[in-house]
Amino acid sequence: MANYSTSQFKNGLKLILDGNPCSIINNEIRKPGKGQASNKVKLRDLITGKTLEKTFKSGESVEGADVMELDMQYLYNDGSEWSFMDPNTFEQYMVNDNAMDDVRGYLVEQDMCVVTLWNDNPISVTPPNHVMLEVVDTDPGLKGDTAGTGGKPATMNTGVVVQVPLFISIGEKVKVDTRTNEYAGRT
Amino acid sequence: MRDELKRYNHFLAQIRQFFSQQDVVEVQTPQLLNTPTTDVYIDSIAMQVNGDFEKKSKFLHTSPEIEMKKLLANGSGDIYQICQVFRDNEQGSHNFNEFTMLEYYRQDFDIHQLMDDITQLLKTLGIDSQVTKLSYAQAFFEYGDIDILNTDFAALKVIARTHGLSIDFEWIEDLQIFLFTHLIEPKLKDLSLCFIYDYPAVQSALAIVEGKVSHRFELYINGVEIANGYDELRHANEYQVVFEQEIEKRRTLKKYTPDLNKGYLEAVQSSLPQCAGVAIGMVRLFSEINLK
Repeated sequence: MANYSTSQFKNGLKLILDGNPCSIINNEIRKPGKGQASNKVKLRDLITGKTLEKTFKSGESVEGADVMELDMQYLYNDGSEWSFMDPNTFEQYMVNDNAMDDVRGYLVEQDMCVVTLWNDNPISVTPPNHVMLEVVDTDPGLKGDTAGTGGKPATMNTGVVVQVPLFISIGEKVKVDTRTNEYAGRT
Repeated sequence: MRDELKRYNHFLAQIRQFFSQQDVVEVQTPQLLNTPTTDVYIDSIAMQVNGDFEKKSKFLHTSPEIEMKKLLANGSGDIYQICQVFRDNEQGSHNFNEFTMLEYYRQDFDIHQLMDDITQLLKTLGIDSQVTKLSYAQAFFEYGDIDILNTDFAALKVIARTHGLSIDFEWIEDLQIFLFTHLIEPKLKDLSLCFIYDYPAVQSALAIVEGKVSHRFELYINGVEIANGYDELRHANEYQVVFEQEIEKRRTLKKYTPDLNKGYLEAVQSSLPQCAGVAIGMVRLFSEINLK
C-alpha cells in the first residue's frame, strides 16, 4: 500500500497507526512563529472505534491502509460468524462475532449494510440508519394512550432493548434508529 | 462590512493611543529588502526588480525587526510599527502569506516588564482575563512530565517514541518545539491568557541567553499563539554568530541560503541599547477580542 505524506492528508484518508487502520477525522496544520510546521490530526481507529490525536512532523509519511467500504446484504448468523454478500459479485464475507458488538442488535436478514474491509477482511459493519424490529417482550400498554407520552422498555427480536411508547405491544413491528437506539415509528 | 471596518479602526486607534501615552514613537521602515531572512523556518518572498536596466533580486520583509533594530542602534528610543509582512510557504488555518504585524521595542525593559506592558495593552483593548505565567520548563513539567532543560536529544527521542511520534529530527530544538505542539499547546486552550517564557538556550533565536535558557516569551490567548518577544541581543558580533548558524542550518535542510546581512551588521556596529521587543499578530489578536 502506498505511503502518504502529510501534505496529502485529508478527511477520510485511511492510514495504518500502531498496526491498526485509522481514518482521518480532522487535519490541522500548525506553524509556530519560530520553528517547523506540524500536522495535528484526529483519527478514528476503525477496529476499536476509539478517537486518537496524533501530531506529525510536516513532510513525514505514513503507510496507507487498504480500507474499502462496500454495500452488502446481511444473510445469516451461524452463532459465531455473520454472513454478508456483495450483491454485485455475489461474494460472501464472514464477519467474526466480536466485531459485531455495537451492531448485532440491529441486523435484520436481507437488510443492506456497509461492511468495512481492511486488506479484504471485514473489520466492521454499519447497519442502515433505520431498521424494522419486532417486539418480543414488553409490559402491557395502557389502553387509550396514543399520544406517545412517556414510554417503556421493549426487547426486540434481535435482543436490543429500545424505549417505546406505551401503546406498543408484543408482536408489533417498530422502526428503530440504529444511531441513537431510539424508537422512530411503526411503519 | 462598514461596522467591521470601524471596529478594526477603533482597535488600531486604541493601540496607537496606548503607545502615544507612553511616548513610544510610530515608525515606518522599508518592506522591500536586499537580503532575505536567515530564520530557518521562515521563507522570504523574492522578486526581481529593475529588469529594464539592471536586474536585481529583492525580498519582501518577513518582519520589520531588522530595520527597526537599525533605528534602535542609532538612538531612536522606544518605537513601534504596524505593518503588513510577507512570508512564503505558510500553511495552516491561522497562517497566511501576508498578515499584519505589530512590532514594538521598549528600551531598558526586560521580558518581564514587556509582558506586564502587553498585559496593560490587552486591558485597554478589553481583554482583562486572568494572566498565567509559566516558564517553558514549568509548562513541560506540568503538562508533559518532562524535564525539558535537562533532557538530551537521545533521551527526548525516547520520550517522543513512547508518545508514538516521529523522531526524525535534525536538531533537538525542532523536537522540543514538536513536543510542545503535541503535549503542551492543547493544554493552553484552557488558559485565556498565558505567557510562556525562558525558552531553552537552543531556541534562543535573537534573544539573550543566560545559562540554560534564553530570555524569550510567547503569548497564547485561548491556545492561539499571538506574540513572540525577546530580550534583544545587542552587539553586532552576537547577531553575526546567529545569522551564520541559521544560514548553515538552511544549507543542511537544502533551503535557499541567504548571504550574511553585512549592511545590518554595519548599521548596528554601535550596538543596540538594552531593550526588549515583541511581535504581535494583529488579526489573530483582533479575532480573539471579537470572540469575547
